[in-house]
Amino acid sequence: MKNKSTFSRRGFITSAAAGAAAIATIPSSGLIASSCAGPTASPEAKPRLIPKPQFNGKPKRGVSLYSYTGVFGVTMTMEDCFIDINDMEAEGIEILANGHIPNYPDPSEEWVDWWFSMLNKYNLVPAEYGHWVDSRRQAGRTLTSKESFDMIVRDIKLAHKLGFKVGRTKLGVIDETLTPVENWKEFIKMALPVAEENDFVMCPEIHMPTVLKSKMVDDYVDFIVKTGTRNFGLNIDFGVFSTKVPNIPGMDQFKPSQPEDIIPLLPYVHACHAKFGNMSDDLIETTHPYPEIIKILVDHKWEGYLLSEYEGPGMNEPEYASDQVRRQHVMLKRLLGEA
Amino acid sequence: MLEFPNIQSRGFRNIKEGNNIIGFQVPVRLTYYRGVWLPQLRPATVSVDGEKFEGDQITWVIDGKSYAQSDLQNYPDVHWSSLTPAILQIKKPGGLALGIHDVEVSIVFSTSYLPPRIDLGFGGEEPYKRRMTLVR
Repeated sequence: MKNKSTFSRRGFITSAAAGAAAIATIPSSGLIASSCAGPTASPEAKPRLIPKPQFNGKPKRGVSLYSYTGVFGVTMTMEDCFIDINDMEAEGIEILANGHIPNYPDPSEEWVDWWFSMLNKYNLVPAEYGHWVDSRRQAGRTLTSKESFDMIVRDIKLAHKLGFKVGRTKLGVIDETLTPVENWKEFIKMALPVAEENDFVMCPEIHMPTVLKSKMVDDYVDFIVKTGTRNFGLNIDFGVFSTKVPNIPGMDQFKPSQPEDIIPLLPYVHACHAKFGNMSDDLIETTHPYPEIIKILVDHKWEGYLLSEYEGPGMNEPEYASDQVRRQHVMLKRLLGEA
Repeated sequence: MLEFPNIQSRGFRNIKEGNNIIGFQVPVRLTYYRGVWLPQLRPATVSVDGEKFEGDQITWVIDGKSYAQSDLQNYPDVHWSSLTPAILQIKKPGGLALGIHDVEVSIVFSTSYLPPRIDLGFGGEEPYKRRMTLVR
């Protein structure tokens, strides 16, 4: 679930005029040909290889393009996002299938070539592929297991084609604490062989107001243990540790998880959303207990990707989110012993 | 590149059929962080200078293909990308006068990962509004 308060249409409208005015003054980078989402040039057909991860044995830094939502396609191209991530010496990239792939779910082969050329040019590893089971796609009813399965399979195949091994598989929910739809086990079981065939792990996102010590998380772990599958796991969004909870309906019962609550889950955690809402001028994240969280991940030699997800004020202001992500990566470098 | 507001000015114009103006069109983009499947959409409404248009007065054009509002639910595998504006074509014989208009568009869609209580939470708060200039 994305924090609705940061996405208020009212806020967007009031900032739109200022944003549009600001856009007019933005200098173009001059370095890179600009394109909204598609290829800048038609590269020669090359093998579709991805760079090798460099930072093994500890958490790896990456960025979810979600962070750039407010300006993506307006003041930043997809290549600009690649450049940003490379500039931070980060290595992982998360894209949201429905948000970032032109002509999703059927991107052109030219775009797929471009995608691989960008990964290699900027030395980025496809770390996580965000996709959805839109259970309430049809008004008035929940998708059947077959429909849900078809939706997942389409994404697994596309993710595999783009080099992703981990998916943030967002499931439809039925209540305020984000309990997944009743038939989730059925369609996930149906999809396991396809995921295995495509070397892919489906990971529902554990997101506030869900907490780590909850029946939902227990059910997911129980499913993994009972099926013995390696193709289903967890994505932990650090919002579960949030110390500053937005004052919006549905959050009043939320009591944040403690950093140590993640320890028993680590064997099943394939990626984390390094959610953050404010990097201060002294490079401290003021809304989540980052030092404690990262220390636990380092101590337990967890080596998945920490994917920055900026979700705070100013998302619609040109360059604001970019700078917040850069600040977060200074903090992460320090906490990870890279600086 | 996209324009910052939801309502896009490039493409805001009257629609001609032969020598007659049969209506006008308003391009809109999703400022949501992802695209939506057509059945997720609920019928849009458009108003210009207070005159409201809805239902079958409005046709969606997505990636060059037209969809009646009442038919959106029948295209579960068609995706409206957040990278590409949709064009709302509105029937209005004679179209709009050249010049400045206050345009409002309401776009509503379902969001399955939010509690059902706020299923339509990313749309429907209030319409998008923009003062627009029609030149053709």
